[in-house]
Amino acid sequence: MKTEAASAGRRRSLGFLARFLALLVVFYFVVAWRPVNDAVIVPFTAAIARVSAGILSILGEGTHVVGTEIRSDRFAVNIENGCNGVETALLFVSAVLAFPAPWKRRLIGLLLGLAAIQVINLVRVVSLFWIGAHRPSLFTSSHTVLWQSVVVLCGVLLFLLWATWGTGRRAAVERHGAGKGR
Amino acid sequence: MARAKDAERSPRLGIRVDRRSLLRLAAGFGVGLAVWFAFAAPYERSMAAAGQVLLRAFEEPPVTRLEASGEEIIVDRSDFPEASPRPGLPAGDLHFNFVLLCALFALTPRPLSPGHFGRFWAAAALLWVVHVAALAVQVESVYATRLGPWSEAHYGPLARNLWAGAFHFYLIAGRFAAPFALWWALGRPQAPPETKS
Repeated sequence: MKTEAASAGRRRSLGFLARFLALLVVFYFVVAWRPVNDAVIVPFTAAIARVSAGILSILGEGTHVVGTEIRSDRFAVNIENGCNGVETALLFVSAVLAFPAPWKRRLIGLLLGLAAIQVINLVRVVSLFWIGAHRPSLFTSSHTVLWQSVVVLCGVLLFLLWATWGTGRRAAVERHGAGKGR
Repeated sequence: MARAKDAERSPRLGIRVDRRSLLRLAAGFGVGLAVWFAFAAPYERSMAAAGQVLLRAFEEPPVTRLEASGEEIIVDRSDFPEASPRPGLPAGDLHFNFVLLCALFALTPRPLSPGHFGRFWAAAALLWVVHVAALAVQVESVYATRLGPWSEAHYGPLARNLWAGAFHFYLIAGRFAAPFALWWALGRPQAPPETKS
């Protein structure tokens, strides 16, 4: 009985992983497809650049935006794929859709999670611009290692929080079911 | 009914996201960052050596030479003209996800227990394999798309798209998914069995 439960657990776990990886590949092809990239991703990235420049202006950085590029007298940065939060959003959406849950709960998780990822990404873009303008020697390591890892970890944590919320509710369902069976 | 069905199919997470787990995650991130900065150079040398072996295994004659130099891996070929510049690939972009692996493995309540530590090193070894494969794919994408007429003479449109697309997939999704998938498969604490006989 114990072994059966353990192997069923392993099967479910591997099933999640297979669905997650398959969805990730599918979503990657969707966002990498040129018409989607040109019509959705680039305008979305330009919007991130405008919002970030607005925040930077409030913080006293004289910035202006050209397409997906934020410029000031001291520094300029171009927001590309990999810096627009889309990579973390791909991971998050794939994980949420791969995890068995009711569609309503998935929808709530996706809306809140994607919004949170974009807020975190805005903090990243603004802080990286500030670092580039005032501490340029720290820009490369902050950009490559620090912030990319932080944003992805936040995406994973958001997924775990959502899934744990689901698990808590599931445990209640199981307890309810066990109560009925008695 | 549907909810009960979902409950049956859900994998057990075995993780609780609370203040302690967040502290462990932050500590794992810090340790991972320190290890990454300290050992990036020898790590890149090992990647370059293994990547060279992998690439040469599919070359006739074997001509590619990879050398880790500073923060780049320099791509050389014995058939390159002497005077032409050698492409340098930013190595950190390929393997900084080691830090993510460290942070995720630290989420477990007892991250330094021998069994968990052993699984971490197994995952790190598999991640090294992913890094070597990604380096080989990146070199092929450079050969296929960045060397002008030489690329067009040696790689057809399908091969160019394949290598460039494969490396782009690694940059956008693969390098973040790899540590998550390895942690999910090897590092997530196993929840107690659901039923007892």
